[in-house]
This record gives sequence, structure tokens and C-alpha cells, in this order.
Amino acid sequence: MKRLDGKLGALCALPLGLLLAASFLAPLVVIAGFSIMPQRVFDLAHIPDFSAYAVFFRQGYYKSLLWSLGMAFMATTILFILCWPLAYGMAKVFGRFTLFLTIAVAVTLFVSENIRLFGWVVTLMKGGLFDGYLKELTGLRLEGALYNVPITVFGLVYVYFPFMLFPLTQGIAMVPDDARQAAADLGASRWRILWEIDLPLAAPGIMVGSLLCFVLAAGALAESKLLGGQSVIVIASEVETAFSYGQNWPLGSALAMSLILVIGALAITTIARIDLDAIMGRKR
Amino acid sequence: MKTSRAASIALVCYGLLVVAFLYLPIVSVGFASVSKARYLSFPIRSYTLQWYESAVASATVSELVATSLTIAAVVTVLSMVLGFLGGLAFARYQWRYRTLFQKLVLLPIFFPQAVLGLALLVWFNSLGVVPTWKTAIVAHLVWIAPIATLIVAIQAYSFDPMLEEAARDLGASTWQILKELTIPLLMPGVVSAGLFAFLLSWGNFPLSLFTTGADSTLPKWLYAKMVSGYSPQVPALGMLAVASSIALVLIAMTVPSLLRALRAMRADKT
Amino acid sequence: MSGDPILRLENIVKSFGGLTVLRDISLDIADGESLTIVGPSGSGKTTLIRLLVGMDEPTSGAIWLRDRRIERVPANKRPTCMVFQSLALFPHRSVGQNIEFPLKIRGVAAAERKKRALQLMELLRLREDYYGKSVVQISGGERQRVALARALAFDPEILFFDEPLSALDYRLRKTLEKELKDLHARTGKTFVYITHSLEEAMVMSDRIAIMRAGRFEQIAVADEIYARPRSRFVAEFMGEVNLFDITATVEGRLEGEGIEINLPAGSSPATAVLAPGEKVTLMVRPEFVHFLENGHVSDFHLRGTVRAEYLLGSRMHYEVERRDGSFVTVEKLREDRFKGKPGDEVVLGWDVEHCHIIAEGRP
Repeated sequence: MKRLDGKLGALCALPLGLLLAASFLAPLVVIAGFSIMPQRVFDLAHIPDFSAYAVFFRQGYYKSLLWSLGMAFMATTILFILCWPLAYGMAKVFGRFTLFLTIAVAVTLFVSENIRLFGWVVTLMKGGLFDGYLKELTGLRLEGALYNVPITVFGLVYVYFPFMLFPLTQGIAMVPDDARQAAADLGASRWRILWEIDLPLAAPGIMVGSLLCFVLAAGALAESKLLGGQSVIVIASEVETAFSYGQNWPLGSALAMSLILVIGALAITTIARIDLDAIMGRKR
Repeated sequence: MKTSRAASIALVCYGLLVVAFLYLPIVSVGFASVSKARYLSFPIRSYTLQWYESAVASATVSELVATSLTIAAVVTVLSMVLGFLGGLAFARYQWRYRTLFQKLVLLPIFFPQAVLGLALLVWFNSLGVVPTWKTAIVAHLVWIAPIATLIVAIQAYSFDPMLEEAARDLGASTWQILKELTIPLLMPGVVSAGLFAFLLSWGNFPLSLFTTGADSTLPKWLYAKMVSGYSPQVPALGMLAVASSIALVLIAMTVPSLLRALRAMRADKT
Repeated sequence: MSGDPILRLENIVKSFGGLTVLRDISLDIADGESLTIVGPSGSGKTTLIRLLVGMDEPTSGAIWLRDRRIERVPANKRPTCMVFQSLALFPHRSVGQNIEFPLKIRGVAAAERKKRALQLMELLRLREDYYGKSVVQISGGERQRVALARALAFDPEILFFDEPLSALDYRLRKTLEKELKDLHARTGKTFVYITHSLEEAMVMSDRIAIMRAGRFEQIAVADEIYARPRSRFVAEFMGEVNLFDITATVEGRLEGEGIEINLPAGSSPATAVLAPGEKVTLMVRPEFVHFLENGHVSDFHLRGTVRAEYLLGSRMHYEVERRDGSFVTVEKLREDRFKGKPGDEVVLGWDVEHCHIIAEGRP
């Protein structure tokens, strides 16, 4: 029975495995390869050098990377604080309201993010929903809401809200109620319980949610373009420019690699520590 | 340790506030789509449905919708197959590289889509493949097939392994077990995965942006128009896209109950 | 019941890596008998059952079904069937479809299948209108009967039951016990039960095989095991018991610390002759220990102080402390209760025909 399981498992994994190897791993390898090619070439048949990485540092592209990582970190932190009470409610307090919330939030995932971000532009722009009605009703104006760094972070928080909410809810659901009750019984205050019981036991959910938000926000593009305008250039935007207008694949690849290396290191170390079977509710 | 009533109410209000906040921009787009003015300006002076009419009638739009739909349909079918097999490999069968496989399947999900799209563009180019809507299918699958796999895997985890042993003990061969037991029991998960795949592909923006080449999907076209060449058709189309997604979700939610009711009626007749 | 065993296990050994779970198991099961394999968790009984059913293979040893070696035959090709503790009913199929499953996969036509399913439903007293019902809608007891019907559908030679009564409440347990015994009588098939519950074992079957740490400690009928256990483990496993260390003297008599032994000439509880100096265990069940009135004697007696008394339904239990601090348990029917009270000094006694010598280490 064990031998059969082994063969069936490997067989079933083959299609998806091949797809991912050819369309996920291979492109990353190619990008890595291009990142150590001399500037402005379009194939890999050259002697490797690190000129693209030198440009990354010398010409200040590292600033874009830092901006991306910084904004992603801020967005993730804000999301954690915003989502925790709601996730707690969904996991422990609400009854049928949880289902409503889950569906309501999940549906927003099916609306493409550029439409939703565009909606914020319509809401916040000069002459937009807020400004227009504000002017009509009070004569006041809403100036400069768009095209700055805070609104870009806001955009990240908005788009990646479900990606923090759902893993966090799952994580909190894993905290056994009797552990909390026992702690309360022994005299622990609410904050103590949060610190000693909730946070450690919900750690898998917290890690998954935070990692997901951080990684996705670090490589995000639409938020800065639609909401941020020219106020901040994110690393993904630089990569796009290098590949299209710049016609410089090695530079674009090096820029992409700078991001991939950071998020790759984070993702691999975190995913390696999580017991997926346990989180996803395995019965055995 | 029950949460106090006040705290519960506060949390519920917070939840409702969050939902309102999440849907606010969509409401704004809705308003913009019925404004008669050619340029975006609030408050809206006069209302009209003409932008919806012209959007629906437009040939460009039909082509965009056709492309988006085709990609989504193919992605759905392939995701269901890959998800079914992948889910079994992920959760059900004990095999040598299962843990490694699990981590591999997760990686594309923990990866920013814009960067992935760009990487795929370079990859296709270096292979000499011209990006078209077909390459977009591959791009969507890289992200969506793992999600489908996770959805099927969750279903597979609740599968009692004793059932397969019982079936074998009663005399079933491996193929019979698959046909009579595994496939029917995993079907709800596969269907959910298909639904998710369709919706995620239909509304996908970053991957489509970079990998459709000269072809265009609805989100990609809308983006281009948002950045330059705005026309009120943009919010109208946006709302139509939103409405279609929501309609699909509602249908998907009511169909199982309908099927169950039908089955109950048929069972009562025997 | 024919003379030859229907199932014979020869020197079965099962190891997982460095861990040996079954050590040299041998057993003959007679055609048509009902046998229970009992043992605490970790004794290896689940592993053994998996070997018998075909879900795993022994590391060494043979399993014979009549005259066929089957230890390497996979489960789906053996004429045996197991009823799981969780029942393992297929949740997405109806009652009828579950019962028909073994027939369907053997290519039996639909009309024929339905006939057989209805027959089995009648045998197990399931109402005919349950045929189309979903298995998740019916009660626990009804689900048990569906599982039994499904197991019988393809007419297996041996039925195995894994903890059939453990998960049930008291009332369901009593009903199912009776039903299983009826079923056994009516079908004439060989039934093998696996359980950790001694009480189940004694009620369900003719013979009992007690398992411990991968070996059978004793295989016999219930009465035999109760009165003449072959080891301390079996004695304690089979209920409350008093155990004393006894030595056989050079002169061929018995002596034990704190116990006065006045055996009439030529009588001994041992079934075999004990070697001089041999240390054995004397076993006597609480219901055979009496409070001796003044002047009465018995073959064995000792002194002690009554420390506690408990009422257990129709019987009284007494804990009597000996001088060395150990306790003796005495059981009396309520109407024969001890007339004294805790704190009283008493003399306890029993006769030679009501006790038993356990000589562990002897074959």
C-alpha cells in the first residue's frame, strides 16, 4: 500500500510540477542569468560580469528597492493592527456574521485591483467624489490627497487587506479557547493573555499573513502608478522601465533579482518553518 | 471568557465599517459610470446610461471580453485538472518529495505578480515566443494552479483515509477506488477551485498586463485608458466587470442548494 | 464447524524498521467460531488485524486460509472483510449504494444487486424505504447495520470487527452485542473481534486471545482465562484479583509470608508439580475470600484490618490491610455483608479449590 501511494503521489505531482518548473523556476533562472550579463545585451552568450549590479548601486536604483521594502513594511504593520481585531472577531466572536464578512471580503478579490484603485482615484481626486461633494456642501476643498507616499501606502493597505485578514483569522482560530480561559482563571490580564497566549499560538497565521502581504506589496506596481503618480518610484516600476523603454535586459534583471533575493530569502525561511499539514487542518 | 456585549457590538460595527470601506471605491466608480459629463467631475449634474450602452455595443469591448473569457475558460479547465492531481499529491498520498512539492507549490503565491509577469515576458522573449493571449494563459496558470491545488488539498484533508482502505477491503481495485470514491468526494473542491480560477483569471491585471502582448484583456485595456485617454466608458465597463464577477459568485452560492433540492425531490420519488 | 482451522497463523513477525511490533504470533481459528483478540493499546492488535485483512504484509511467517497461503495477497483479493470502528461508510452514497458497492465492483447487474441488497437489509432489520436514504441522515445504530450489510454483501468467509462497540453508548452497545451474536449464529461465518475491552470480549465470543507486547499471553475460553490465568498480566487484566508470592518448600509444601497454609495431605492448587524452592504466584479472586468466624478454619488464612468498604450495586467490596502494608480485596454479596466495620481486625480465608497457581516462565 505504501509503495502504491508513493507512485501515485509522484505521478499526480508531475503535471503541476512540470508546469511550475518550466514557467516559474525557469524564468527566474533566466532572470538570474541575465542579471550577470554585460549591459544591454539580449542573450546569454556572453561572459558574465556584475556591471548591472554596479549600476544598481551607483545610479541609485537601490533607493527604489528601499522605498518598496519600506512601504511594504509599513503597509504590513498597519494591516496587522487593522486586521487583528476583525480577525479575532471572525474567529472567536461572530457567529454567522463571519460568513457574511468572508464572502464580502473575498468578492473584492475577484474585482481587478486596477478598477478598485481607480475607484480611489475617482473618490479622492480633485473634482472627485469627496472633493466635489465637500465643495458643494461646505465650500471646503480636499487638496493633494493623491500623488504622494502616504496615499500609496494606503493603496497597498487597501489592496492587500484580504491577504492579511484570512490567514490571521485562520491563525487565531487555532488558539484553543481553554488555554485562554485557563490563563484568565490564573489571573492574567487581557494584555497578558494577548501577549503570552494569543500571539504565540496564532504565530503560523501571523507569519503567513505578514509574509504574504509584505512580499506582494514589495513587488506591487499599480498602487504607485495610479495613486502615487510620480511621487515615488517602486522597484517593480524600474524593472518595467528597464525592460521596455530602457531596452536593457541585464539591468532590468538585476533590479528584479534585487527584489527576488530579498523576498526569496524571507519566503523560503518562513515557509520552511511552517507545518502546512497542521495549518490546513489535516485529520490524522 | 466571553467578550463583553459592548466589545462585540463594537467589533461588528468595525466589521461593517471595513466592508463599507472596501466597497467605497466601487461605489464611486458606479457613480462615475452614470455621469453624463465627458470628463470626471463630482457632484454629478445629470445621469445617463449611455456609457453602458456604448460599451456593450462597442466592437473593441466585445473583442476584449472574448479574449478575457477565452483565457479564463482555458485557465479554469486546466486549473481544475492540475488542481485535482496536485491536491492529491499535496495532501493525500504519502510520497517521497511531498514536503518539497508542498513548498514549491506555495512559492508562486508568495511572489509579486508584476515581477512574475515581467520575468515571464523575458522568458518568452528569450524562447522566441511572441506574447499573445495564449502566453497569458500560461502566466495565469503559474499563479492560479497552485491556488486551485490548495483548495482541492483542503478538501482532501477532510477525506477519511479509512474510506479507501474499506473500499479496497471490499474488493475494489485502484482504478475503481479512484472512480467510485476519490473523484466524487473531491468533486466539490475541484468545482470550488474552478470557480476561483475563473474569477481570478477574469479579473487579473498584473499578469495580463505584461504577458498578453499585442492582445489585450479587459483589465489591461481599462488600465491603459485610466492612465491616458480616459473616457466614461471606463467606469461603465469597470462596473460591468464587477457586476459579472458578483453575479457569478451569487450563482455559485445558490447552485449547490438548488442541486440538493433537486436530488431530494428525485430521491423521494424512488 | 469443521475440524480444520479456517485461518492459521504461523510464527508471524512484524517489524517496522528497528521496532518489532509482533513477535512470533501463532493462532488457529476454527471455521465458524467467534474469537476475540483483546489487548491494551500498544499490544499490536491493530497491526495484527491489518495483516489478517491484507492491508500490510508480515516481515516473516505465514497466514493460511484453509489450504491457501495468503499473507502476500492484497486486501481486495482476499475473501475476508473488516468492519471498521468508524464504519467507513461512503458519505456520498445512499444506504443501498453502500451495501451494493462490493457487488457493483464485481460486475453484478443492477437488478440482481438491488435484490441482494434488500435481502441483506431484511436480514439486518433495516426498513426497505431506507434503500435510497443518504447514510449521513440515519442514526448510529442504523449506520452500524448498514456497515454490516455491506460487509456481508459479497459473502466473505471471515469477518473482522475492529472495536465494534467502543464508540457506542451503553444502550446501543447492548443492542449491538446481541445483534452480532444473532448474526453469527444465523450466518455461520467466522467472526473475529478486536477490542481493548475485556467485558466486550467475554460477552461476544467463545474463545479469547489475550495479547500483550506483540505476543499472545493466553488463548482459551473466558471461563478458563478467568479461573486459570497463565500470567500475572492476564490475571490482572481479567478483573480484580489478589496475588501472593509463594515458595515451594523442599518438603513439597507451600509457604508464603504472612499466610498460614494448612493444606490437607495430597492437595495443591498447582496443576503441575513444583520444583523445590520454586517461586510462584498464588491467585485468588475476591469473591472466594471469606471472613472467618471464630473457630472456623480454611486451607489458607491470613490476618488483617478492614480499612474500607464500598457498595457496588449488588456486591460489597472490602479493602483489608495486612501487617506488611499490602491490601487484600474481598467481595461479598450485599445480603452476606460483613457484620463488622472498618477498623476491625479480621481473619480472611479461602479453600484450595478456589485459588490458582501462576507459574510464569513455564510453558
